[in-house]
Amino acid sequence: MLNMVACYKWVVDEADIRINQDLSVDMSKAQGKISEYDKNAIEAAVQAAKAAGARAVGLTFGNEKSKPSLKDALSRGLEEGYWVHGDEADTADAVVTAKVLAEAIKRIGNIGLVFCAEGAADTYARQTAPRLGALLDLPVITSAKEISIDGNTVTVTRKLDDCVETVSAEFPAIIAVLPEANVPDIPGLKAVMAASKKPVTEWRAADLITDATPLSWVTSVKGYETNRKNIVFAEGDAAERVKQLVAALRKEGVL
Amino acid sequence: MAGILVYSEQTGLAEELISYAVSTGKAVTAITFNEEDAGILASCGADVCVVKGASDMPEAYGKALAGFIKDKGIEQVLIGATARGRNLAASIAGYLDCAMASDVSYLQIVGPDLICQRMTYGGLLVSSETLSGISVVTVGPGMFEKQEKAAGTITSLQLDADNRVKLVAREPVVKQGVDLTAADKIVCVGMGMDKEEDLEMVRQLAQSIGAELGCTRGIAEERHWLPPEQYIGISGQVIKPQLYIGIGVSGQVQHVYGVREAKVIVAVNNDEKAPLFKSADYGIVGDMYEVVPLITEAIRNL
Repeated sequence: MLNMVACYKWVVDEADIRINQDLSVDMSKAQGKISEYDKNAIEAAVQAAKAAGARAVGLTFGNEKSKPSLKDALSRGLEEGYWVHGDEADTADAVVTAKVLAEAIKRIGNIGLVFCAEGAADTYARQTAPRLGALLDLPVITSAKEISIDGNTVTVTRKLDDCVETVSAEFPAIIAVLPEANVPDIPGLKAVMAASKKPVTEWRAADLITDATPLSWVTSVKGYETNRKNIVFAEGDAAERVKQLVAALRKEGVL
Repeated sequence: MAGILVYSEQTGLAEELISYAVSTGKAVTAITFNEEDAGILASCGADVCVVKGASDMPEAYGKALAGFIKDKGIEQVLIGATARGRNLAASIAGYLDCAMASDVSYLQIVGPDLICQRMTYGGLLVSSETLSGISVVTVGPGMFEKQEKAAGTITSLQLDADNRVKLVAREPVVKQGVDLTAADKIVCVGMGMDKEEDLEMVRQLAQSIGAELGCTRGIAEERHWLPPEQYIGISGQVIKPQLYIGIGVSGQVQHVYGVREAKVIVAVNNDEKAPLFKSADYGIVGDMYEVVPLITEAIRNL
């Protein structure tokens, strides 16, 4: 049976990131989550598997803390999870990540389509799909808005900056989906329960690639500096607050 | 020949990137698929190669361009940050097996390395990165200024296309909504609004101040109350109005990324903990159904 592979990333939930006064960043209390955009990739793989009579599977590469991602991913309709783990993930750039994923995809084998999001919620680098295409020498379709499958042919509507394109390719191919490609369901209790019983294949990153040296690295991270007045009108009733707001906006010269 | 390769299908952006590349003192080669652009790009000081090949999609030349870059000994590749540009850039980086940084907000070539800054976590953080070896970066419009220089040469370049992705149809985008990026004032609706009919109330407010109506991603993509061109945020429109008023907008970082260049930001939300208040100049904590008509009325009475 053909495999429809959804690649996803377990990222730090940006809602939990604290930025200190000096713009230094505190992620110590941050929880992990599946990158929002990757939920669209998972849903696309599930739908493609239905349409093609194939098997939808999930693939992720992360550090040891990324294990909980599998249960979440598997509750979203995937049949099997592939978890590549190792500390290499903490320093991996797009080069290393793509190499690890490409090698895992080769091992999963019998590929119909590989789905990625356009970018991850943390780095939003938008590199993985084209890089996978290069490493696996497979055709790549990015900016996918609508996807339909007929036999071994995938037809995709792409949303580009100034036009909408319809393109097609034969399996196997790599597809990067836009957030508007689908609306992922929130998994129900039954799906969450069932997820724990689904099979997970584990690989260590070092089993897949021998050299995980990145070609680019982050030298510093700080909070984006916002200089806003943060004035909240709280005195008086609603009419009074509105009066103060309108006065302030006139003073700013924006009304 | 070492040097820099530049590409963007947006002529103005290509001119900006060439002008920056020329300013580094390195040899600059610009690629175009559009013969009409060749002269314009050459006048910025680049040697222009007009690509001829069997595909109408620039993305189909990633592998061939990687080969060209290797043959020429090119060290840096600058590509305009559009959907096509990012695709082609990452494809080239993949075939070259080299480093890449997307959508950089700062960039400097330092010896054999390239240092850059870019936004991460939806614009919450700024990350500084170093790329070693051959590097590819994508850059948006407006970062560099176009400059005329002694014109470079124009030659044609035959490249092999990857024809496995077939173009079936191409249609220009029919804009359903307004061009928010050009708007002076924007009133934005968020998920705090209960019913589609209530949009009328916000339209009244927008009308009273001569603003355009925008929305958050959820309103366009989940509820489909407004066309997708009208949603603001990292994956939608990035706006720079004089005034932005968010009505029932919680202020998730992905949305705020799209509005933070506004001169004045106003938040109206019944949840005092809504993150938008932290990114706003002025705020009213209150029920939009009470506050919005009052603002409209107050402005009409000015």
